[in-house]
Amino acid sequence: MIMIKMNRFAAIIILVILSGCSSSASVQLTNDFPQVLAKPKPLSAAIVFEPSFATYVAKPNAKTMIDIGAAQVRLLRNAFTGLFSKLEFVTSREEITSDNAMVIIPSVREVQVSTPSDNYLNVFEVWIKYNLDLETVDGEAIDSWFMPAYGKTPDAFMASKGGAIEEASIIALRDAGAKLMLDFYRIPAVNNWAAQELKRSQQLQATPSAPADSQTSPQQANSGEASK
Amino acid sequence: MKSSSKLIAILFSIVLAGCAATTTIDEYRPTGEPIELNAGEKVVVLGRRDAGHYETDREFIGCVGKRMTGADIGVLPEQVFIDAIYPWFEPRTAPKGLPRLKRLMQDASIKAEVDKLDVRYLVWLDGSTETLDSGGSISCAIGPGGGGCFGFAQWDKLSVYEAIVWDLQDLTEKGRLRVDSEGTSYLIGAVAPIPFLTPVKSDACSSLGNQLKGFFTTQPASPE
Repeated sequence: MIMIKMNRFAAIIILVILSGCSSSASVQLTNDFPQVLAKPKPLSAAIVFEPSFATYVAKPNAKTMIDIGAAQVRLLRNAFTGLFSKLEFVTSREEITSDNAMVIIPSVREVQVSTPSDNYLNVFEVWIKYNLDLETVDGEAIDSWFMPAYGKTPDAFMASKGGAIEEASIIALRDAGAKLMLDFYRIPAVNNWAAQELKRSQQLQATPSAPADSQTSPQQANSGEASK
Repeated sequence: MKSSSKLIAILFSIVLAGCAATTTIDEYRPTGEPIELNAGEKVVVLGRRDAGHYETDREFIGCVGKRMTGADIGVLPEQVFIDAIYPWFEPRTAPKGLPRLKRLMQDASIKAEVDKLDVRYLVWLDGSTETLDSGGSISCAIGPGGGGCFGFAQWDKLSVYEAIVWDLQDLTEKGRLRVDSEGTSYLIGAVAPIPFLTPVKSDACSSLGNQLKGFFTTQPASPE
């Protein structure tokens, strides 16, 4: 009797140890992101978070699953507040109500993961490759911007695969926010569109009988180019 | 009996003496004057994370910060600062030199946030701890009659870290420190594995933290 119990106990212990060595990982990102510190341009944008983007679950390989949908929506909602003073978040193009807004449709092209057994470094790495389709409200294409983001764990020592991939994914998402803030207005097509929109809104304000459909307040329009 | 005890004690102390790390610190400061830190002003210790093959680990940053806090120096946690200034101190956007820092601080919102946090000095830490060389072998076995480990293994570790102090008010560099710490650790398998670990990283942290402490002099709050 005691012998049977001992065998069962040993089997449980071995199973627990082996489950710790499991190489599959399923990660859901539930963290929040800090508020961006930037003064937005007096422009408006409509961000289209399609359901496929908002619920995106990455499967970079057969043994890894990263649920980044909700986290990437939280991140982009936050990041765009540092770029545009007037924002509208919708789930489809048909729901847009703003005039003269830039329509931004983000999508995920690919997610890649690299583990210490792949890269021979003591780090886990995550790449998230985004694509931002930029259009006018009328559907005219402004640009299609490829935006890669990268994150890695500081040290994989004693870290579980799931925990390490989660950490690297969060760093990659934060990097996406940084890339967006740093480079968005450096895209030539976006820069031209922004200049035209600012000029248009200034002209509207200069005309006394201008219709009151301007997207920006006078204060915002006068603030000029503030973003980095 | 006595002589054998003495022999064991001598052998033990020789082995333990081998576990000490050798640490060298190089310091550069434009002036010999200590850096003034007024009451209420804080220091933030940040790790460089833009290198491809390594990144300055948070544990080390926390360790140096703790060392400095012990000397009445207000140290703001790294993550609090990075989150408050997001996204301008992320690996992609963090200023690598003073010209970029100057441009960042020209932004009124960033300057206001730094002032709000009362951060006066920024200490950049860059470096890592690596295993240089390892030798020996140790094997462990288990059987119905019991188990044990037999053999001998050793490895060398090297910690190299550089600290650069920036003044966020004058936007100047106040000094640089470099610490190199090296040591060998041993693992002896005599039925049970007996480790003799050299605290290379811990030595580098305490040396760097203590030296950085010496950089600053805290000024008492003026009575009003």
